[in-house]
Amino acid sequence: MELVIGGAYQGKWEYAKKKFPQIDWVNGESCTLEELLQAGGVNGFHNFVGRQIDQGTDVQNLAELIFEKNPDLIIVSDEVGYGVVPADARDRAFREAVGRVCCKLAKKAKRVYRIVCGNAVVIKDTVTKDA
Amino acid sequence: MLTVITGGSGSGKSAYAEDLILSYGPAERIYIATMYPFDEESHRRIERHRNMRKGKGFETLECYTGLDKVQVPAGSHILLECMSNLVANEMFQEDGAGERTVEAVMRGIETLLKQAARLCVVTNEIFSDCQPYEEETRRYQQYLGEINCRMVRMAEAATEVVYGIALPLKSNTL
Repeated sequence: MELVIGGAYQGKWEYAKKKFPQIDWVNGESCTLEELLQAGGVNGFHNFVGRQIDQGTDVQNLAELIFEKNPDLIIVSDEVGYGVVPADARDRAFREAVGRVCCKLAKKAKRVYRIVCGNAVVIKDTVTKDA
Repeated sequence: MLTVITGGSGSGKSAYAEDLILSYGPAERIYIATMYPFDEESHRRIERHRNMRKGKGFETLECYTGLDKVQVPAGSHILLECMSNLVANEMFQEDGAGERTVEAVMRGIETLLKQAARLCVVTNEIFSDCQPYEEETRRYQQYLGEINCRMVRMAEAATEVVYGIALPLKSNTL
């Protein structure tokens, strides 16, 4: 598993497509859980989490499910917790859920890339020894 | 010795800060809790944090305003969480410091540093979005931003936590 994270419009997906040109992508805005668990990569993972929340689906075990069923998934997600705490309870639950799930994913991921202005900063790398 | 831990919401900064305090070894550990339990959601959040701290040997002190009046044992290890709540309390609660929030909070930090051996402050990145906020909210960002800058200037170390991954912002010991 590898994670590509960062703010909106930072070039995360462009980076991910170049980095992993061979895989099949699904979109977090529209894919089903089954599709997510069979995909090579997911773009907009935060949107998938948001949809689960809006459907009333608990995401507490989502990270574990992904490790078990699709451990090589490439996950592209917005970092959504960097603004003022929203007034709306749904928005608060959404950003918190994305954070909690991504913390678990990052712990298991072999690499985490953080994209800022289209530039990738490798913030975790368990593969390249001298990184 | 002051350490500042920052990060977004749900970034894993609390868990990181707790581990950091434990890594300093045995001492009297004090947790200064600043979240005012005003509704069910805040009670749930407080409960979640209590469960995370369970068995880690923290004594909890609640401080919603007036950090400079808090007394802690000499030589203790302090974890203060979260600066963003303390600043909101000082600004918006009746007995808060209002327009003098930045000075009041910084005085509190200095007072704690005189008593404690180690102080670790968890704060929050609330500065990176583009909502058209009300003036009051913008002032809140301004005060917290200024406090974060001033704390990190004083601090020996500062770390940003991104999904549980520690990114060093400042380190005087390395």
